[in-house]
Amino acid sequence: MIPLSLLGVGETASVGDVVGDVDLVHRLREMGLYNGARVKMIRPGSPCIIGLDGHRLGFRGDDLARVLVHVAAHAIAV
Amino acid sequence: MVSYPTPPSGPTMAIASDNQTWTIALIGNPNTGKSTLFGALSGSRQRVGNYPGVTVEKKLGEVVHDGRRWVLVDLPGTYSLAARSLDEMVAVDVLLGRRSDVQTPDVVVCVVAASNLARNLYLLSQVLELGRPVVVALSMGDLAEADGLTIDAARLSRQLGVPVVPIQAQRGEGLEALKQAVEEAGSKPAPTVASPFPAPFREEVDRLSATLASAPPRYLIERLLLDSGSEVKAQIAPGESDRAQLQQQVDDARVRLAEAGCRVPGVETTARYAWIARATEGVVEHPEHAVSRSADRLDAILTHKVWGSLILAAVLLLTFSAVFAWAQYPMDWIDAGFAAVSSFLEESMPDGPIRSLLVKGVVGGIGAVVIFLPQIFILFFILTALEECGYLSRAAYLMDKIMVRVGLSGKSFIPLLSSFACAIPGIMATRVIENRRDRLTTILIAPLMSCSARLPVYTLMIAAFIPARSYLGGLIQLQGLTMFAMYMVGVVVAAAVALILKRTLLRSATPVFLMEMPAYQWPSPRVILHRMLERGWDFLQNAGTIIFAVSIVMWGALYYPRISPEELKPLLVEKARIEAELDDANAANDAPRAESLTAALDGIGHRMDGEQERRSFLGRAGKVIEPVVRPLGWDWRIGSAVLASFPAREVVVATMGVIFDVGEDVDEGEGAQRLTGALQAATWPDTGKPLFNVPVALSVMVFFALCAQCVSTLAVIGRETQSWVWPTLSFTYMTVLAYIGAFLVYQLGMLFV
Repeated sequence: MIPLSLLGVGETASVGDVVGDVDLVHRLREMGLYNGARVKMIRPGSPCIIGLDGHRLGFRGDDLARVLVHVAAHAIAV
Repeated sequence: MVSYPTPPSGPTMAIASDNQTWTIALIGNPNTGKSTLFGALSGSRQRVGNYPGVTVEKKLGEVVHDGRRWVLVDLPGTYSLAARSLDEMVAVDVLLGRRSDVQTPDVVVCVVAASNLARNLYLLSQVLELGRPVVVALSMGDLAEADGLTIDAARLSRQLGVPVVPIQAQRGEGLEALKQAVEEAGSKPAPTVASPFPAPFREEVDRLSATLASAPPRYLIERLLLDSGSEVKAQIAPGESDRAQLQQQVDDARVRLAEAGCRVPGVETTARYAWIARATEGVVEHPEHAVSRSADRLDAILTHKVWGSLILAAVLLLTFSAVFAWAQYPMDWIDAGFAAVSSFLEESMPDGPIRSLLVKGVVGGIGAVVIFLPQIFILFFILTALEECGYLSRAAYLMDKIMVRVGLSGKSFIPLLSSFACAIPGIMATRVIENRRDRLTTILIAPLMSCSARLPVYTLMIAAFIPARSYLGGLIQLQGLTMFAMYMVGVVVAAAVALILKRTLLRSATPVFLMEMPAYQWPSPRVILHRMLERGWDFLQNAGTIIFAVSIVMWGALYYPRISPEELKPLLVEKARIEAELDDANAANDAPRAESLTAALDGIGHRMDGEQERRSFLGRAGKVIEPVVRPLGWDWRIGSAVLASFPAREVVVATMGVIFDVGEDVDEGEGAQRLTGALQAATWPDTGKPLFNVPVALSVMVFFALCAQCVSTLAVIGRETQSWVWPTLSFTYMTVLAYIGAFLVYQLGMLFV
């Protein structure tokens, strides 16, 4: 698993662990960053914009919450 | 008629609905078109207020279907019913029928965005556990259609176990089918839905439930176990010892759950998303090649570091010029209207306290409030349009990079932007900020944004004392530059204050930025107009009542005590002499002489008014504070004008008009010029030097840029924070800063004069 911030523009991955502050992690999960959710990097950086199942989130976690993602071997830029 | 068994105890139990009136609750994620659906269903039959005791907005609408009256309750948009914030707790309480002011809903309509099914169904899975009949309104946004998404609504309905009705609220499609489904769902008992939670969790809920004498609804017990900062505990266990005991039980249960592999709160999202995966199996069909790429193209420009920032700067510039330029005409009309009412009252009533109270206190007070309505309408028209089309979230995204430097997130940007029109709606808009400390910081700095009420002060001082020079071949105007500088003073000081607050009193880490970037879409005119009227009404209620009351008090302080005729004798003798000469001149048909005498007579009248002001309570107070304001370069007249503007900054222009003997209609063209002249001509009585020079004018402007002279803002801060500590702090720190700022500007400025 790699940190979400390492994804380049247009790259997709699936959400794995989300680590950090318990309440914040819960909120991120509720907002759609659940295990296995497909995430696409739309604008990298801090904050970044990610695409998730038909919607987009502006997100900057800093040290409070870190999203780790699985990059499947066959994943291609969509 | 279904009558859900209300909890046997609880402080706020609802009355069961009667047969004629149903209560329908509307809930959904933000940006799902819920407001559009609410508007389409209830039309103009809407009421907006607050839930008593909390500052959560309560929106009620009315629908008549098949001769039955339905009360529609629009709950705040939320991603989850986790009962962490007041908004969420109110939503849970309304849905469970635990509020005395809303009847237990007969049907809950859950608005679910088709383009984004999984996350929207998360909220539905919580709603289903509340045990009410539920209908899903599947909102087919433009985006879902453009993407070529197909959804098998019948299959979804089967798998969810509740009716699913596809709607297109903006075009009014599917509304009849939705009403029909609501009618049917409400006539049947609520479906029983299996809990999505694993067995160990269900057992802990059962165990906890058995020990609670008050037998709260099952959903609340789940929340008790899941949420750390839950609002539920205080409701279930009112006593201090009960609460400690309950906490112990909850802690024990959590330890057991962790051992069983169901760690809270993670178990909730895992369980619900697993349920969602089952419920949506085979329901959604994505096209082979996604059709819509326009959103990508827009975002590529609008959120670009360079282009996006330039566009944002242009949008802000246009917004502000529109607010000031377009509002000018309606503001002039309102002004003229109130002036006409005033002069009608002055002509038709005898001189005396009652006429003065009506003209200066009542009409003047209401006028001072209503005059700002056009600016508020225009600003909210533009802000709502930008929000509805999805742009404002992108602006917040771009601003996040700047906001983190002062310890805030991009979410604080929108409230601060609104505060340039008026801090009141700005402070109310801070509700979207989750963290209490970040929200308080934003509330405390919002009044430093130069609101429209500062504008009259800036305009007057700049016109009178800043020379109309231009540089770079007319590209930069000194007067315009001064105005811009005043706006920047507020912004820079706000940034500094935020930095200090976040390191001391409200110490906390820089908040995480997490904000949905909704799909771009054409804004719905109905929603924009409604929001605009709502905000205007809010402003009138909040600001209006207070400004009105204080205007009357200030009128009294300026009107009383009356001077006796003996004290006015020299002026009265003079007046009688001029009147006699005027009669002579009129008799001799000497028009030019009559005209100059009439002007002299007006001058005497103004001097008499001025004498009265000086002797009034307010004038005396001004004399008392003169030593305090002297280091700012002010005399007692400026001092008392500033004192009088404590309820509202804009009052200062009218008060200066009275004190500097020009008469009060100084907002009108000629009057304003006369006030400018009077200010330029005013001198210190002891030395005869001009009272105002550039440093004094700047000191007055800087004082108004930074001071908290607005009772309505302070009242709203008190209401939103549910405490008098924060308004007191706001007032104190802003007044101290304003004094220091004015002092520095004057003292430094005098070095160059």
